[in-house]
Amino acid sequence: MRWGGQGEAGRTAAAALLALASAGLSACVDKADQPRPVAQGDPARGLAVIEAVGCAACHTIPGVAWPEGRSGGDLAGFGARPFIAGRLPNQPGVLTRWLIDAPSLDPGTAMPPMPLNQAQARDVAAYLYTLDDD
Amino acid sequence: MSSETGFDPELYKRLPTREPRPEGELEQLEQVWCAPRKPWEWVTAINNNYIGVYYVGAAMLFFVLAGVLALLMRTQLALPMTGFLAQETYNQIFTMHGTVMMFLFAVPAVEALGVLLLPQMLGARDLPFPRLSAYAFWAYLIGGLCFFCSLFFGLAPNGGWFMYPPLTSVAYSPGINADFWLLGIGFIEISAIAGAIEIIVGVLKTRAPGMTLDKLPIFAWAMLIFACMIIIAFPSIILSTLLLELERALGWPFFDAARGGDPMLWQHLFWFFGHPEVYIIFLPAAGAMSTIIPAVAQTRLVGHRLVVLAMLATGFISFGVWAHHMFATGMPQISINYFSAASMAVSVPAGVQVFAWIATLAAGKMRFNTPGLFAVGGLVIFVMGGLTGVMVAMVPFDWQAHDSYFIVAHLHYVLIGGMVFPLFAAIYYWTPMSSARPLSERWGKWVFWLMFVGHNVTFLPMHLTGLMGMPRRVYTYLPDRGWDLPNMISTVGAFLFGLAVLIWLVDMIRNFRPFGRREAGNVFNGPGLEWLPAGLYSLRSIPVIKSLYPGWEQKGLAEDVEAGRYFLPGAPRGERETIVTSPLNAEPQYLLQIPRPSSWHVWGAVFTAGFFLILTIQAYLASVISGILAVYCILKWCWKLDRPDRREGGAAVVDVGAGVRLPTYVSGPTSHGWWAMVITLIVAGMVAVMAGFSYVFLWSRRPDLWQAPPETGSLIQVVGLCAAAALLAWVSLRALALDRPRSGVIAAVLMLLAGLAIGAGWAVEASAWWGAGLRPQASGQGATVFALIAWQGLFAAICAIMAVFALMRWVFGLLSARRPATYQLIALFIGFSAAQGAAAALLTHLFPGG
Amino acid sequence: MTTEPTPGTAGWPPPVLDPAGPFAGPIEVVAWVLFVMAAVVMTVVLIALGIALFGPRRWKRRVSGERLVWIGGLAFPIVVLTGLLIYGLTTTARVAEAPRPGEMRVRVTGEMWWWRVAYLDDQGREILQDANEVHIPAGQPVVFELESADVIHSFWVPRLGGKTDMIPGRRNFMRLQADQPGTYGGQCAEYCGGPHALMGLVVVAHTPQEFAAWRARQAGPAVALDAAAPTAAMIARGRDVFAASGCGACHTIRGTEANGLAGPDLTHVGSRQTIGAGILPNNQGTLAGWISDSQGIKPGNRMPSYPVLTGQDLRAVSAYLDSLK
Repeated sequence: MRWGGQGEAGRTAAAALLALASAGLSACVDKADQPRPVAQGDPARGLAVIEAVGCAACHTIPGVAWPEGRSGGDLAGFGARPFIAGRLPNQPGVLTRWLIDAPSLDPGTAMPPMPLNQAQARDVAAYLYTLDDD
Repeated sequence: MSSETGFDPELYKRLPTREPRPEGELEQLEQVWCAPRKPWEWVTAINNNYIGVYYVGAAMLFFVLAGVLALLMRTQLALPMTGFLAQETYNQIFTMHGTVMMFLFAVPAVEALGVLLLPQMLGARDLPFPRLSAYAFWAYLIGGLCFFCSLFFGLAPNGGWFMYPPLTSVAYSPGINADFWLLGIGFIEISAIAGAIEIIVGVLKTRAPGMTLDKLPIFAWAMLIFACMIIIAFPSIILSTLLLELERALGWPFFDAARGGDPMLWQHLFWFFGHPEVYIIFLPAAGAMSTIIPAVAQTRLVGHRLVVLAMLATGFISFGVWAHHMFATGMPQISINYFSAASMAVSVPAGVQVFAWIATLAAGKMRFNTPGLFAVGGLVIFVMGGLTGVMVAMVPFDWQAHDSYFIVAHLHYVLIGGMVFPLFAAIYYWTPMSSARPLSERWGKWVFWLMFVGHNVTFLPMHLTGLMGMPRRVYTYLPDRGWDLPNMISTVGAFLFGLAVLIWLVDMIRNFRPFGRREAGNVFNGPGLEWLPAGLYSLRSIPVIKSLYPGWEQKGLAEDVEAGRYFLPGAPRGERETIVTSPLNAEPQYLLQIPRPSSWHVWGAVFTAGFFLILTIQAYLASVISGILAVYCILKWCWKLDRPDRREGGAAVVDVGAGVRLPTYVSGPTSHGWWAMVITLIVAGMVAVMAGFSYVFLWSRRPDLWQAPPETGSLIQVVGLCAAAALLAWVSLRALALDRPRSGVIAAVLMLLAGLAIGAGWAVEASAWWGAGLRPQASGQGATVFALIAWQGLFAAICAIMAVFALMRWVFGLLSARRPATYQLIALFIGFSAAQGAAAALLTHLFPGG
Repeated sequence: MTTEPTPGTAGWPPPVLDPAGPFAGPIEVVAWVLFVMAAVVMTVVLIALGIALFGPRRWKRRVSGERLVWIGGLAFPIVVLTGLLIYGLTTTARVAEAPRPGEMRVRVTGEMWWWRVAYLDDQGREILQDANEVHIPAGQPVVFELESADVIHSFWVPRLGGKTDMIPGRRNFMRLQADQPGTYGGQCAEYCGGPHALMGLVVVAHTPQEFAAWRARQAGPAVALDAAAPTAAMIARGRDVFAASGCGACHTIRGTEANGLAGPDLTHVGSRQTIGAGILPNNQGTLAGWISDSQGIKPGNRMPSYPVLTGQDLRAVSAYLDSLK
């Protein structure tokens, strides 16, 4: 969406370069933990939402080049983590709710409510669960 | 042919001589021009065969270093928002890349080529001031290396190579990084100007007899125009660096808009230097192209005269285009239109040269050797750069392209096509002459193709990146701009280019290895004198030139030259000597004694570089000591020059061959020293003129801040003292010329008085303005008036040193009516200082009027 | 809601060749004319060179004389360049017409490394302050008064026109017009030190009605706190944290005690599309990230990171700022 119609070609090529580079890394990952399925969540759309909303302002997120924020946790390997923010069970329903309104689950958190609807939150969650391991 | 100097051209017919050369003549010549033997002698060497090679080598070292910086930048920009280089590091690196490439590579490289090749091409034994070029080289190498090392301490300048204030003023660049740039550029300016003086005097005064201007090799034409442009353009950068340093160190507001300065003043001063600079770099390279292309095509250059005229036109027009770097600054429409027209006009002479090269290739038969490939490849790239140059001369387009990657692409096409490729052609073409061993043709073709492809892969996409909105000088870019792919391609290309340079480097090291056979000879069948058999003394004998292509058209030249059948087949006075000829028709005038190696100029260079560098780190005492030592070394070096010839057989006239007798000493306007002094004074005068321009410019911005000048009485005193100084200097010369028993002491005392009068005039001027309440920190008026006073103060100090020097010469019995050259030069300098002081006072007191 | 991180700045199609108004349109035409000129000249040169290098002898002879230099090097360029020059000068005059009375004026001041924006009335007085985002009515020319507060910057919105430098001590003028409502990205084009690379801005063009509404809304103070809303307590807390943390020393929020002038005016910060000078989307999350670690996101910028706030305080401040629509 952000690239406009004519930008597709350039973007695809750039993405292909990156994909080639990352393919080599992900090939050797041992899939011990299956990714948690998120009903109706689409990781690709989730990544677009993450970029558009600017989650990276606080989090370092694999697949998002910038800004690699340091205020929140590093989300590399998030899919394999047992807890969200160190205290909530890392389950799709919880995560979706956390993404939309974190303070409702943990009043002390620094993470503000994010302007996401349910569908977008599910997409984001789906993407985060692909971050299996480093 | 009418004679220029009274020399009878009929005498040329006696040459080549037929009688056998005397026993031991060649051995003596070799002895006089012997190679360095002890390690230290490699440092004190001054022969252009050594200094020229050192010089080219140092320039290429900086090319490689700045190229490595480019690769670092390309790595950083390969992907968006990478953290390979930190922001500050990147900003320092791009500033250093531009600065090193322009000041430490491009200008020195072409100057080095001149130092290396000109004596050979002109048939001179050496340059007229070999110690000066050695001094320039050592100051450049030491200063340049220290300057480069500032990167490793994070102290490198970070304001971009054109250092626009106020970003570079103390408020926004409080560190010493910017000072490194300003002072680092200081000695590079000095060495560039020293080289330019050398080249002008060399080309005009040390040509082989008979080499009239229409037989002057095209490369020498290019170098002559190049050197003249340096003389006109560099004063502007000298002044601007001085002014910015004064603003940074002492708070004089030249560029501070809040206090009556104007940042635009810097842009005018900088680009008045900066744009001619591009042609300063381009012209010698174009001269090399015009030399190499006829050689690879084995035919005369088509349109030789047109090409010379085109180069002259380039030189002139290039001084009228500086503001095309400033179309986006909100200049008045009328100025914009003028500069747009001039910028387009300057491409016409370039077109003439390109088509002359094409016509030459068509007239002959191109041999696809490495120099030929580089020449043709450079031509293609340069034409593309020229076309984008026409584009950005179109003002509306420039408003979009300016400061974007389109400009980055444009300037690299122009400079790489117009300078780097020709330089590589020159290196491949002349290395067999210099090291007597050709570079590898097989590797050379790899180097060429990698470099040609690498260049285009790097810079062609940048045109598009710029139109896609990417500004230049960004340390990174956001991932959503679509700039990723073209940047990635550019990075790949840059590494191809780097690979080419690496292969070339290996071949160069292989080539200059100190063992193995060396007997290349004239591998490309070049037509110039540089291809004649030669030793460290250059040619065995200096031929009479009858053709633009003597190597092709003067039969038997090589044999006759090598057998010593022409001028100066030996060293008649047992010294290093060359023939000085007249500037137009190259008629022999006198025998110039060239100094021998010495260590004073080396120490002078060390302490000059030390002065600037230590000043940067604000160790003022150490800096002053270094400066005093530099002055001492330079005086010591001058002390040994121009001495009475006390040796046995120190005849005033010697036979230089075939019974042609030349004087061994001249003074006055014929002498090479006089020419050098006049050129130096033109540089100084240009600095003063640009300072006067700054004064008027700042007034035009803020006339409300201008205060009334001191009372008229002070002006009369200043002008009167300056006139008295000039008069005293002139009378002193007359007194010496009378050659009476007490002429010496009278002349020396009068010169001392002249120097004192300059100092008195300066003191009156300074105290008058101070007394009138003007302070340098107060306004643009204060800053520029005191800048002019400070500049004149520098001259008053030099006048004083010179006057004392003159007195000392008398004390030690070195002052004689028959050896007045040094003395005349001092008088000339004092006369100039008087005129400059009076002119500055008149301008600041009378303009803009009470 | 999911706005683009930096709206209107996508690189494709190249914004220079995708003009959106009458001050950029003619430049695109100039660009294409120049591309064609360059392609033609390059072809001519390459053909001549090809003949010179590889051509049969008969052809080579035709390009080997001084005549080629006269025709190709002198006559041909002079004709082409004269034509281009006349075309260039007329276009320059068209694109750079002087401002006319009655046209809307906006003053944009370049700061290290953001843009101060002020809307002017007919007398040139500032009636509204804003930052990093310029709102204009579509379909009519707007006069930009360009100034600098520190070093030289250059104002460039490629889809709307060329660039003009912002120079301390001077005031430059540029007229821009967007034919259609939309968002147009821009960036500082003159190297201004440090994070120059991250000094973006956004021009938002509205229909005239929308623009009038926008302006009316901006002229007032930020929307009053709705005490009934569930977020009210958080926002009120944020307002107190904002005041207690000294944010008002650098930022102004009209109607409060915050009246600092060093940084961007935040009166309506919640209504902006971006923060950090055109580099991040604007929502509570990015605001929180920016406040806690602005130096990590945009190294070297003038706002210090605030790692001293508790999580709740941080959330409160971002909620407060986000509420300033």
